[in-house]
Amino acid sequence: MNSYFKYGKYLLVGLFLTAFNQSCTDLDEELFGDLTPDNFLQTDEEIATALGAAYTNLYGYGGNANIFSLQEVTSDEVVVPTRGNDWDDGGNWRRLHLHTYNSEDDRIRDGWTFGFGGVNACNRLLFQFSEAGITEYDAELRVLRSLFYLFLLDTYGNVPVIDRFDLPDDFVSTNATRKEVYDFIETTILDNIDGLSKEVDATTYGRINFYAAQAILASLYLNAEVYTGEAQWQKCIDACDAIIDSGNFSLAANYYDNFVTENSGSPEFIFAIAYDEVFARGFNLAQMTLHYGSQRTYKLAEQPWNGFCSLQEFYDSYEDDDIRKNNFLVGPQFDSDGSTPIVDDASSDPDGPEIIFTPEINELGPNAYRQAGARIGKFEFAQGSTRHLNNDFPIYRYTEILLNKAEALWRLNNGDGDALALVNSIRDRAGVDDFGALDADNLLAERGREMFAEAKRRTDLIRFGRYNDAWWAKDADPSDHVNIFPVPKEQLDANPALEQNPGY
Amino acid sequence: MKLKIDLFKHALLLMGLVMMGNFAMAQRTITGTVTDAETKEPLIGASVVVDGTTTGAITDFDGKYSLDVPEGATALKFSYTGYTTTTQEIGASNVIDMALSAGAVLEEVVVVGYGTRKAKEVTSAITSVKAEDFNQGNVADPAQLLQGKVAGLSIARPGGDPNQGFNIRLRGLSTIGANTQPLIVIDGVPGASLNSVDPNDIASIDVLKDGSAAAIYGTRGASGVILITTKRGEPGETSVSYNGFVAVESVDRTVPVFSATDYKNFEGSTDLGSETDWFEELTRDAVTQVHNTSLAGGTEKTSYRISFNLRDGQGVALNTDYTFLNGRINLEQRALNDRLKLTMNLASTLRRANFGFSDAFRYATIYNPTAPVFSDNPNDENGGYFQQDLFDYFNPVAILEQNFNEGQQRRIVMNLRADYELIDGLTASVFYALQRENDEVNTYYDKNSFWIGAGRNGLAERRNDERDSELLEITANYNFEVNPELEISVLGAYSYQEFVNNGFSASGGDFVTNAFTFNNFAGASDFANGLGSVNSYKNSNKLVAFFGRVNVNYEDTYYLTASLRREGSTKFGDNNKWGWFYGVSGGVTLSNLFDVQGVDNLKLRVGYGVTGNPPNDSYLSLLRFAPLVDDDGNSIFALFNGGYIPAYGPASNPNPDLQWETKSDISVGLDFSLLDYKLNGALDFYSTTTKDLLLDFPVDASTNLFPTKIVNIGELRNSGLELALDYQAIDKSDFSWAPGIALTYFLETKLITLSDPESGLDFGGFRDIANLGAPGQNQTPLVRVEEDADIGQLWGLVYEGIDEDGEWIFADVNGDGNPGQNDDRQVIGNGLPTFQLGFNNSFTYKNFDFNIFFRGVFGHDLVNTFRAFYEAPSAIVSYNVLESTEDVANLTAGAKFSDLHVENASFVKLDNMTIGYTFDLPENSSFTKIRLYATGQNLLTITNYKGVDPEVRFTDSEGGALAPGIDRRNTWFRTRTIAFGVNLGF
Repeated sequence: MNSYFKYGKYLLVGLFLTAFNQSCTDLDEELFGDLTPDNFLQTDEEIATALGAAYTNLYGYGGNANIFSLQEVTSDEVVVPTRGNDWDDGGNWRRLHLHTYNSEDDRIRDGWTFGFGGVNACNRLLFQFSEAGITEYDAELRVLRSLFYLFLLDTYGNVPVIDRFDLPDDFVSTNATRKEVYDFIETTILDNIDGLSKEVDATTYGRINFYAAQAILASLYLNAEVYTGEAQWQKCIDACDAIIDSGNFSLAANYYDNFVTENSGSPEFIFAIAYDEVFARGFNLAQMTLHYGSQRTYKLAEQPWNGFCSLQEFYDSYEDDDIRKNNFLVGPQFDSDGSTPIVDDASSDPDGPEIIFTPEINELGPNAYRQAGARIGKFEFAQGSTRHLNNDFPIYRYTEILLNKAEALWRLNNGDGDALALVNSIRDRAGVDDFGALDADNLLAERGREMFAEAKRRTDLIRFGRYNDAWWAKDADPSDHVNIFPVPKEQLDANPALEQNPGY
Repeated sequence: MKLKIDLFKHALLLMGLVMMGNFAMAQRTITGTVTDAETKEPLIGASVVVDGTTTGAITDFDGKYSLDVPEGATALKFSYTGYTTTTQEIGASNVIDMALSAGAVLEEVVVVGYGTRKAKEVTSAITSVKAEDFNQGNVADPAQLLQGKVAGLSIARPGGDPNQGFNIRLRGLSTIGANTQPLIVIDGVPGASLNSVDPNDIASIDVLKDGSAAAIYGTRGASGVILITTKRGEPGETSVSYNGFVAVESVDRTVPVFSATDYKNFEGSTDLGSETDWFEELTRDAVTQVHNTSLAGGTEKTSYRISFNLRDGQGVALNTDYTFLNGRINLEQRALNDRLKLTMNLASTLRRANFGFSDAFRYATIYNPTAPVFSDNPNDENGGYFQQDLFDYFNPVAILEQNFNEGQQRRIVMNLRADYELIDGLTASVFYALQRENDEVNTYYDKNSFWIGAGRNGLAERRNDERDSELLEITANYNFEVNPELEISVLGAYSYQEFVNNGFSASGGDFVTNAFTFNNFAGASDFANGLGSVNSYKNSNKLVAFFGRVNVNYEDTYYLTASLRREGSTKFGDNNKWGWFYGVSGGVTLSNLFDVQGVDNLKLRVGYGVTGNPPNDSYLSLLRFAPLVDDDGNSIFALFNGGYIPAYGPASNPNPDLQWETKSDISVGLDFSLLDYKLNGALDFYSTTTKDLLLDFPVDASTNLFPTKIVNIGELRNSGLELALDYQAIDKSDFSWAPGIALTYFLETKLITLSDPESGLDFGGFRDIANLGAPGQNQTPLVRVEEDADIGQLWGLVYEGIDEDGEWIFADVNGDGNPGQNDDRQVIGNGLPTFQLGFNNSFTYKNFDFNIFFRGVFGHDLVNTFRAFYEAPSAIVSYNVLESTEDVANLTAGAKFSDLHVENASFVKLDNMTIGYTFDLPENSSFTKIRLYATGQNLLTITNYKGVDPEVRFTDSEGGALAPGIDRRNTWFRTRTIAFGVNLGF
């Protein structure tokens, strides 16, 4: 018995010693499903996957959460009416349309984080790649960052300019002026454009190449007067010419070739988001615009939300023989067999339960009819679609470049014949008669008809000085401070050094 | 002083004893005197009983007794109200004198974590609840045993979902971004799973309420600690017990909607020709049966207890149920001259469940009561169920009947403990524990399920999560007396605990047949066409701690306890790996210092403690890269050279400064015993401050990878008052009444700040959270989180009426002439209660026992989201609406949330009523106990709340702990249960 006692003592002493051994106080984390900077970016394959993360930030662009809604719902071409119990959503959709948005609105919050999410991804990759000695994507990342900055410049204006990831610990970002943001974008692109690929093929599709950079410049210069107070029409024309003269792009034979489900081969696409229902999700226009019952028309995997639609005045701006009038879904809707009418069992709409989309919308709210409003039918909705459409979404399309050039020429000389010819080339394809002359009204209207629902309208309205006008349910804006959005409250809270935009 | 007149109490017993005529069996007569151990004065009316029989006597005015003891009697049991019951073996002498010690309640053992203390020595706020005081009836979750019993402890489960756990909160809210529920310690294993133990196997539950007690649990002590001790065997004869019951649960209350007749009478409704009570169609009387069997016994060296528990229960909703199978073995072995004690526990649980789908309740609320359940065409594409093409509108019976949602939980806990007494008073111990938890959830949505499955042509999901933890603890305990007045005990310990979590999930659809459900993913074409998804994960974390505690007892009057824990976690950032946690508490038994008339015991306690709360996830401090995944769990790809390749990016904003939340609290308490120890109670005040709250905080998006980051920030304050009273009002041999009360008054739950001037992070004064949701009420936050304001502020517009156009009129709160805008919202309620009450009454009458328990919670409001969505008359065209739609019958606008939908939800429930009968058994019976009982649970609810269940909603699916008070549309119906049971011992 005594010997047990002794052994017991040794045993315990031993255990105590073990306890205080180094390994038992080791608190390093062990990772299983993550990489760290120490073991990431070891192979070309890993580098490619890392680069991809800069582009995936774009996937939110075509969804209902940020840029699409900021550009379209604030304009005279798209509205989200409050339909009884649906789409009140705290009034935020009405505020977007009426230009009474505030710094707490979700769309305002999400647009900012969308833009800076992209900026930061690019900055991080520039830093990581440079640490790893990889330089081949430098120019591409810097120009892609410029694109995100162009969104920010256009929407929020006076945003901080952040050009690196390895910021000092005590760094506090502050607003740059709109001019400084503009200059940063212009300088960055000009410094890097020659480092970009001039190939227009699968190796550059969906990525930034030389022509995408020119398209960004064209857009930047077209709006330079809005952004900086100083117009840059000739620079815009030059950027457009770099694209046009390359011969790499042309008008598609059919307008809708740009918007069908398999649209990635379109000769018009200069830069597009390569959406895919499996690989690259985020384009949910069918959900946004279609009626609940339309699920049967397109055999959709999920019930749509019956929200976004166009305004009657905008719908009526298309001539009846304009091919592009098919940008809208109007009239009776049918099951996928094409003949059985679909019904809305809950409808108290005056024209009965059979679903008929009417261009007329009775009111913005609270009781817009459930079937009211021409729907956005420009992009093909494939039978059996999931929430995520396969159609690629153009950010820059050749027609826009033609229209940009036409406008810049016209701004320099209202009687410019080339400008008129460019616009008429687009009208020709749409099957409508040529304009005899260009003026601000018909130029803006033509851009609207051509680029409806491509997230361009707000920028155009501002440039033409029409954003603050009254239309339909919207009154004229008492002040043009609404032409840039407020800095989101969360951002002001997170960084007290940031200043709110004027007027908010 | 100590002369007690307890004669009346025992007069009846004496008469009974005389009448029973036990003299016939007398072999010898034993006499003696019973005195107070302290004062030596005689105790009058003390009871002396031959152990194991009903034969006994009562002491007379001189404290003397005389008792004829039958043959074979081995011991006498002496008892006296308020004194410790003592058993004395019968020896050769015919005279047995007994000195009883006062204050049985003071000698009760209280588990304090890494040891036990006598109640009189406890200096912290600790409530100990023994098995006999647990809630009875259909109790399937150990948390339910305590509901309403402990001042300061809130336990809630709104609705009657048998597969949903209880929300447990101790002393209000002391964290917003970490774990709000107390740490559960089962037989010494911290972090143990509550459903690894059957309620029937629990001997006691001790609740460490304040920081001075919980500090010994360091980084995990801040939300309090609940210590569960399971039953063990006692030396002596083997005993077998069986407890079983059958319970029937029925629907007590559903959402009040129009009946088919009322619906048809409402203007604008659409009559589809049938009459259906959707709630009726969806529910049933649910039958539960429970069988607990145990075998216990032992010798002086070995003791054991083995139990087997089976619970088979149904839910009131169609196709919902569970089966709980649990086995437990507790062994104790002494060796080496009793210096070595080995303890082994092994418990295994399998819980199978059909969860059903709570969405069915929402759709039952709005489904047209004139719609039929089935369509005319049983072979149609919807599987024969009636369906309509409406948004967010599905036949609820079809949801529950066509689809499957089942799962299994497996738990294995095993632990081994060796205590070795090195020298007298010094014990060294090694404790090893292994816990393995496995959760499996399987779901299948039928190809013809219009709700979800049809759009995917059948959809199967499987998910498996496994959590393993291993614990090694080495402790040394030394108890010694410096001198007879001064006793000291010292604890020193090291603890190492490692957690490994991993899991696997798959989701895919497009099946040719429904036959496989989730059992053959090869049949899911989605995996070929890319719409299926598969995910797996693994993570780990470690906790390492060194800790110690000193207890000092001076003259059984002054007590001091101090503990210190140095603890580190892998989850913390490199800059903050280790933290100090400590508690100090002291107590003085004032009644030993002053002689206060009528006061038997009075002790003042004061404690201060610093405890922590760790982040929920591992790796938050590190910069990590992983394949990007969207909100739905699908991998994100990018186009590269004409093909899609996976995109790898950062997982979160890293925070190398990440650390624990720090809670410091002061607790002051008064323990008292009055009326000869018949009235015992405790009054407690606490005040806690939590700093460095863990929160996913918005950060500057222009300089961070993500717009939010988990940071430590801010300060939360919380204080309250607690009163617990137990009164032995009547204690006669054939009639007793013991009321008990547990009161909690929440003084303050206040967010002081969520800003940090030092780091520049600013909350901006307020933020509105907890979105109401679709349809139509997104961007409708229900809660305002505000610095320097109460937690739980409900936020919204103020309803004033309906105008002649049928549109809402809301108040122009800010007076800008534009009413009903976002800037016209104000605080319209608070989701946290101010007061809670548990009121228990136990009676015994002869062989009957009777228990009635009321529970009330007061002062909290609830957002009745059913009303916020389904009270607009315009929906009547094809949706059903709530009866209360009559109140806004002129409304033509859509539903819009306002204070109209916020209701005071104070309530009192008759939670539990039990009546039992224990049979007298003959001497030679093979049974030692037979008791029959009936219990009713949730028999009555008194409340003005118009919704289904007024219980507090402590957390919200959208807003978490910062958004209490939202009754979301997934609440199950309130239910009522009647159970009949039997307790057998043999």
